[in-house]
Amino acid sequence: MFDFLLLVRNENMKLYRRVRTWIMLGMITLLVLAISIIAKIVSDGDVDNWSMMSIETMVLFQLVTIFTVVVSADSVAGEFSTGTIKLLLIRPWSRSKILLSKYISLLMFALVQAALLYVLTFVVNMLLFGYGGSIVAQETFNSNMNPLGYMLVYYFYQFLGLIIIVTMAFMLSTVFRSSGLAIGLSIFLLLGGSTIAGMLSMLDYAWVDYILFLHLNLTQYMGGSESSGMTGEGMTLGFSLSVLAVYYVVFIALTWLIFNKRDVAA
Amino acid sequence: MELQTYSGPIVQLKNVTKVIGKRTIIDQLTLDLPEAEVFGFLGPNGSGKTTTIRMMVGLMALTNGDVIIRGHSIRTEFEKAIRHVGAIVENPEMYKYLTGYQNLLHYSRMVPGITSQRIDEVVELVGLTSRINDKVKTYSLGMRQRLGVAQAIMHKPSLLILDEPTNGLDPAGIRELRDYLRKLAKEDGITVFVSSHLLSEMELMCDRVAIIQSGKLIDVRSIRHEGEAAAAVSNVLFEVDKPDEALRLMASSYPGVPAQNGVTFMVDRDTIAAINTELVNAGLKVYGIRILNKSLEDQFLEMTGGENIV
Repeated sequence: MFDFLLLVRNENMKLYRRVRTWIMLGMITLLVLAISIIAKIVSDGDVDNWSMMSIETMVLFQLVTIFTVVVSADSVAGEFSTGTIKLLLIRPWSRSKILLSKYISLLMFALVQAALLYVLTFVVNMLLFGYGGSIVAQETFNSNMNPLGYMLVYYFYQFLGLIIIVTMAFMLSTVFRSSGLAIGLSIFLLLGGSTIAGMLSMLDYAWVDYILFLHLNLTQYMGGSESSGMTGEGMTLGFSLSVLAVYYVVFIALTWLIFNKRDVAA
Repeated sequence: MELQTYSGPIVQLKNVTKVIGKRTIIDQLTLDLPEAEVFGFLGPNGSGKTTTIRMMVGLMALTNGDVIIRGHSIRTEFEKAIRHVGAIVENPEMYKYLTGYQNLLHYSRMVPGITSQRIDEVVELVGLTSRINDKVKTYSLGMRQRLGVAQAIMHKPSLLILDEPTNGLDPAGIRELRDYLRKLAKEDGITVFVSSHLLSEMELMCDRVAIIQSGKLIDVRSIRHEGEAAAAVSNVLFEVDKPDEALRLMASSYPGVPAQNGVTFMVDRDTIAAINTELVNAGLKVYGIRILNKSLEDQFLEMTGGENIV
């Protein structure tokens, strides 16, 4: 077990020794600062810290997802295209474990970004707009929950969607062994998927309900367990979670199966 | 019996076969690699050298047959078998955005028991001490090759596999690598498996050479090194001014064959001097004496039928 953690440490070293990673973290930080400062200048004092935190999270969590997709799409494919996969796989470790160490380090990277975003949006907006009390928060969120707790639940739902997208990017990366294709396809599906799904959801076929993209945005269930978004009537959180779980298992199974079977001829 | 006092071949390739689609890339290759030898793997481009090596290190699945390393099958006991292997497959590709040291640290974490002293020791050994904390992207090809060797020997393998290791090295680098590999085999008892299509290189580096063509093993032969040559009979060319007279003169004692500019004899070392004396005493002018050793290259071309690359 301890040895396996060393593999994860290796993957983290490869991740955080790259300038790219720090540019991503820097961009998140800068954007939070920029949006808040601009809002502070433009607004007439009628903005509270909770609504700013919520707006910024909605926009920037998308960015966190894209960054994680880029890194995970590059994770396996990058090792193939540079040829380093050969030296990586001739160690006394099974391919499954090497793949798992990569996957874990990716999820950790997503978690680091989410945590950064959460802390930054809270602290920066509180400093700029002051701490809005529970009444303000209740108005903003339309909920009686503790505002920080509410945001935490929001992040949790967002994170579940992120895991699915990132796992898909990881799969594409393993299947195609080309970072460019995996990144392009994942981001297209991430951004275009909801449009396509929205169009399809107007059709009256039973299978439309099982399309992945209708279920990625779990925050639509936050008002209650009934969907309030475009997924329309009849969808429940439980149903969405079940659909996502099936996709997840399929993605993971395909990724591991293909990575284990494949001849390395890079 | 085999495991405790294991003195047989370190590596056995048994009927190794690779079929991709309908093409048989490697056809029933059977080969034993003995301990403490530099073993050459020679073949023209596209003959299946790299494919064989990829199968030996588990990067490619075998269609048939097995590779046994120190008694462990690469198919069923991959982790136990690969522990004894250090390798560079094709180019020594490293993480360019990491330093040389970080690259070694990365691989050292994947095998238990590699201390930081061992890393320093290996860095010293390959002569990278002054540059080890620079990023790999600033390294020359020769330095990357050295770093590649460092990661391959770090965990003290019993089998070192190098695929075309002299690619991109300058003559000094090639010579250094050659000496180093011979030293590894002789002093540390490591079996070194080197593939190449450079015949002259293999002749200097290896104790034994397996020749492969179109995925089939054609021949395995040992290579004589200096010292053993003295007693052996070789084909010797005498360059003389009157070849016919020389032939007639020697006909009774040493039958010769006429050649361009002279006569050739199949004789040993001492006889060369004797023939020379006789020729000179008979008043012939001897311009030169040359041993016409059939080089590995000639033998190789003979065997593989010239440029018949499939």
